[in-house]
Amino acid sequence: MAKFDFDRLAILLVEDSPFIRSLLINSLKILGVGTVITKDHGGQAISFLKQVKEDPMKAGVMSVDLIISNWMMSPVDGMMLLRWVRRHKDSPDRFIPFIMISGYSSKRRVNEAREMGLTEFLTKPFTIQAICDKLTLLIQHPRQFVHTKDYFGPDRRRQKVDFPGEERRLLNDKSDCVEIIRG
Amino acid sequence: MADKKKISVRFYRFKNKLKEKTAGLGGDENVEISPEALAEAEAALADMSEDYPDWVSGTIDKLSEQHRNCVENADKRKEYFQEIREIAHDMKGQGGTFGYPLISAFSDGLYGFADSRGKLTDDHVEIIKAHVDAMRAVISNRVKGDGGEIGAELTKGLEMAIAKYKV
Repeated sequence: MAKFDFDRLAILLVEDSPFIRSLLINSLKILGVGTVITKDHGGQAISFLKQVKEDPMKAGVMSVDLIISNWMMSPVDGMMLLRWVRRHKDSPDRFIPFIMISGYSSKRRVNEAREMGLTEFLTKPFTIQAICDKLTLLIQHPRQFVHTKDYFGPDRRRQKVDFPGEERRLLNDKSDCVEIIRG
Repeated sequence: MADKKKISVRFYRFKNKLKEKTAGLGGDENVEISPEALAEAEAALADMSEDYPDWVSGTIDKLSEQHRNCVENADKRKEYFQEIREIAHDMKGQGGTFGYPLISAFSDGLYGFADSRGKLTDDHVEIIKAHVDAMRAVISNRVKGDGGEIGAELTKGLEMAIAKYKV
């Protein structure tokens, strides 16, 4: 089977624990990721992302392909970073895949992140296998982005389920109020 | 015409840039992460795990310090409990990764317990100490995995301490 080559990927890693941070840098490098940029908390990550937009030469990368962030950090946590990335006008890419790593695994927390437009959730404590599974999922099964009055983020419907009955969803691709943007 | 429509949903369907970058342009479905690289990353994690007991001992010291604060300064217990909760949350997320799921389990228990909203009595403070002691025992005896008999004993001891002091 063909193998992924992550050499051209630039990943922004945001983690405040030095121990977990070096574990993740190590693992990503061994998996072949070309560029791993690390920041200690969401505030630093936001400054860096602004710089990527304004002056990529100075930032050292032309773009960021993926953000992996811890949730609980201070002063700016992972949720605040996610919100900024998805909603702020200065965000360099509002569609960027975002993996949140967290010891918060309650349904309420996971939902909160999902509603903010999270791409994937990685529960702590994690394994290397779990990291690889998330990376594979992001690459092999990207989701369309949905923008409605109160949501912006990856489509929260992950599965395409065959429904034997009559189609009663109000909207489909041909509906007047639906716009499809391709790129 | 598009401009006369009232758009309420936009779907963005982009080409898969991540796949182009990592799997080439062939669009091959059968691409995987190199099992050799995965094994190597796991070996590196195992190496790092050897340093984990030393590193986490420093964190347990911080918990112990907060416990001492609770003993010495009863008025500020709410504040210290919050600190304890944050430290426990971090520890919970790490132990299992480095082969010490008991540290994760005890931290998770401590995280839940330190959320006490009522009056924080000396008994509550004792339960914090019981957690700290159990964690120290796990680390100093290098009790990996579920810890077998020692693990079960420590877990039981902690449960008994909670039962004894919880009011």
